[in-house]
Amino acid sequence: MSLLVAVDQVNKIFSLSDGGEYIALKGIDLKIKTGEFVSFIGHSGCGKSTLLNMIAGLSLPSSGVLTLEGKKITEPGPDRMVVFQNYSLLPWRSVRENIALAVNSVYGDMPKGDRRAIVEEHINLVGLQHAADKWPDQLSGGMKQRVAIARALAIRPKLLLLDEPFGALDALTRGNLQTQLMRICDENNVTAVMVTHDVDEAVLLSDRIVMLTNGPGAEIGNILEVDIPRPRQRMEVVEHPSYYSLRSEIIYFLNQQKRIKKLRARKTTAVARHGLEKVNLDIGFVPLTACAPVAIAKEKGFFAKHGLEEVNLTRETSWRGIVDGIAGGYLDAAQMPSGMPLWFSLGGHKNTPLPVVSALTMTRNGNAITLSRRFYEQGVHSLNAFRDMLHRTPETQHRMGMVHPSSMHNLLLRYWLAAGGIDPDRDLALQTIPPAQMVVDLKNNAIDGFCVGEPWNLRAAMDEVGFTIATDREIYDGHPGKVLGVREDWAAAYPNTHIALTKALLDACRYCADPENELEIRQILSQRAYLGTPIDYIHLGDPNTKVCELQKPMREYAHHLFFGDGANRPSRTEHLWHMTQLARWGDVPFPRNWLEILERIVRVDVYSTAARELGLLDAKFTRGSIHLFDGTDFDAQDPIGYLNSLAIKRDITIAEVVFDGRVAALAA
Amino acid sequence: MVTHSQVRKQARPNPVLASVQQFWQKRGPDLVPPIIGIAVFLTIWQLVSSSGLTRLPGPLSLWTDTRTRELLLYPFYDLGGLNKGLFWQTWASLGRVAQGYTAAAVVGISVGVLVGTSPWLNKATYPIFQFLRMVAPLAWVPIALVALQQNQPAAIFVIFITAVWPILINTIEGVRQIPEDYDNVAKVLQLSRKDYYLNILFPSALPYIFTGLRIAIGLAWLAIIAAEIVMSGIVGIGFFIWDAYQQNYISEIILAVFYIGFVGLLLDRAIAFLQMKIAPARK
Repeated sequence: MSLLVAVDQVNKIFSLSDGGEYIALKGIDLKIKTGEFVSFIGHSGCGKSTLLNMIAGLSLPSSGVLTLEGKKITEPGPDRMVVFQNYSLLPWRSVRENIALAVNSVYGDMPKGDRRAIVEEHINLVGLQHAADKWPDQLSGGMKQRVAIARALAIRPKLLLLDEPFGALDALTRGNLQTQLMRICDENNVTAVMVTHDVDEAVLLSDRIVMLTNGPGAEIGNILEVDIPRPRQRMEVVEHPSYYSLRSEIIYFLNQQKRIKKLRARKTTAVARHGLEKVNLDIGFVPLTACAPVAIAKEKGFFAKHGLEEVNLTRETSWRGIVDGIAGGYLDAAQMPSGMPLWFSLGGHKNTPLPVVSALTMTRNGNAITLSRRFYEQGVHSLNAFRDMLHRTPETQHRMGMVHPSSMHNLLLRYWLAAGGIDPDRDLALQTIPPAQMVVDLKNNAIDGFCVGEPWNLRAAMDEVGFTIATDREIYDGHPGKVLGVREDWAAAYPNTHIALTKALLDACRYCADPENELEIRQILSQRAYLGTPIDYIHLGDPNTKVCELQKPMREYAHHLFFGDGANRPSRTEHLWHMTQLARWGDVPFPRNWLEILERIVRVDVYSTAARELGLLDAKFTRGSIHLFDGTDFDAQDPIGYLNSLAIKRDITIAEVVFDGRVAALAA
Repeated sequence: MVTHSQVRKQARPNPVLASVQQFWQKRGPDLVPPIIGIAVFLTIWQLVSSSGLTRLPGPLSLWTDTRTRELLLYPFYDLGGLNKGLFWQTWASLGRVAQGYTAAAVVGISVGVLVGTSPWLNKATYPIFQFLRMVAPLAWVPIALVALQQNQPAAIFVIFITAVWPILINTIEGVRQIPEDYDNVAKVLQLSRKDYYLNILFPSALPYIFTGLRIAIGLAWLAIIAAEIVMSGIVGIGFFIWDAYQQNYISEIILAVFYIGFVGLLLDRAIAFLQMKIAPARK
């Protein structure tokens, strides 16, 4: 496929009537290949129509260049025909005459009969034979848009530009027209660019979806490839494994844009009180049973008790939300998967190291690996049986879900698979899916299994769609689950608040660990503001018999550890283990200066101050070496030697990680 | 109810009566109120004039006054000179209107298109047009007489100068108001200038142009009467009124006024009919 349209560093600035200027688009780079269907999506006013008009030549960029087949676009032309949102049919010409006007003006040198044949052919193409002599005001909106599409296609444009073509139509008509457009584009190999605000429309029709951020200064936020094969059928597309992840990706992006807009408008300032630098905190969490300490600290007043009087909990449905909140600076602190502070610090997010520190481990355990029920019925009851099954069926693409590359779920799952001789990237495909989406995807057979925190393993088992093949207690008992993470610059700016926050959450952890409070905690967690799940699915400690009955493969149910001997102290050994695993799977380079980084990231000092002020005396300083189910003991002596000894791993990069700049990558 | 059914029974065999009745049933509700309105108006007028409060004769004087009755009954007589029936008087005025109005339409539409397509020209001419537009038709009469020396061309000029502004201004507006979408279609298709004028500009501006034409025809008709009153010694309904006034034939004036009003109504309907034929309203 050759390059058709190139948009290179395009800016568009409008001058305002009051003499100022409005930067609509900033630094847009985009390449469109022949035969591609590309959609622009974004909120109203993000400049997506402006971009389309610039490709059409109806408006010119303030700076930068747009080219069509290498030639600069300076004016509109019939090789880039536009289908306008309001149809733009000439009301004084009939359907046939409207199409004929375009054909006659573009193919003026063709014999009359041929031109007439083209007009008739395209009237037939959109199925409007019966209305060919009607006036536009006698047609419905859907029919008008079909005429506009016929008019556009009749002159064989190199590029078809559609500006919210179905925006003004009812849902049924829109669906029909989408199907027709898709068929026409497939059959005639049309290259098309469409502006839309309809997520489903974008996924259904596009090869690529260009998501634009909010203006002013809108840019391309992300470009999604739609890997659903063509020809597509509406009903089949919905069942494709990528459909929901694409859809949720776009919706997440649009929601994020909306939130950023709101946050830009809000502009909070730090409220200092009680000797704390900031008592108004936004704390992010993801609805999982493991969010109990955060929920309890809020509901039972531990935040307020320690002076943090204006804490606002922000519920994110995926870890992506937490990542963007911390990176964007609009979350003060967050519940994080245990690997996330390191992942941030080593440049996992957009290849830019962002130091994030952790002073508290809030939970341990509470995760498990679930496989689809049909494997259980096929006799796959163990890791070895799973491996044999995968190696027996290499032609089938098996997929498993995890929640974030830096989460313990991903690392545990990969460790478990690799220990069983399964390469998690070659024998399987691992997909990032929000926790709450897992059971649904498993039910739809979009994935074959997952590793996630409770309550979702239990829920899959209780709904009889999956079974727990291994719990984290078997793989790595007592592993850190969720930690408290804050940006290093935040911790430096608000040191006392950091200690108070650690104290409040540690206090809440202690509360959670008391069996007497269990029912109350489960009740709080089941509320809409937290998990929004029936209380039967939420368990903190040992499971009841109903859950255990799922015989052999359902081993002992994972239970959360919120508090206890050394449970909450951030451990350098554990973080180092995460560091090796993240490097093992190629997410981040292994830092040559790992000791220095651990010193900075693992804030034992903050934890110790908090614990001492709470009257909790540190019993043990280390948790010792880590024992894993395959018999390895991990100690912090020689991480690079450990990495080299592993059989299944990706290419490992070792680099000096400098926090103030980008990673100086050095291949080892 | 009884009489009604009897009428029906009788009407059935007679197709003419049946169609009249059908017409009346369909259009009656539309026709009755204006007929009643006119009747009441004429009655009040007659009562007021016969009460002696005013010297103005009542509508019945059209028939009771002998001179006027003759004019009413014989509109087509022609005794040479200025002594002609009312039809010929009106015809002469209409002839002048036709010439002046046609000139106004041609100039108004073509200049309007020119100015409407050029924002610069529009800015340049706006104050002049608005200034000239405000000058009353009667004020043009002495200027026209001075400039053209003769009554006939001066009268036509007054018609022209009165009628041209609404056509011009509406055409400018119509061209300026061409929806951007249609212009975009033209740009994307790279229509030639001729195709653009024929297929986009004129059809799109036509409703505006016709609005201008309808306002202008009314103004032209108003202006001719005024002009003829001032320009003595020509055949025309305006001078006929002036002449009658000079000779104190008040009821003749009233008859002439009826003619004027009726012709004005016909002119307006004619343009409206033309508009319906040429540019039917389409969204």
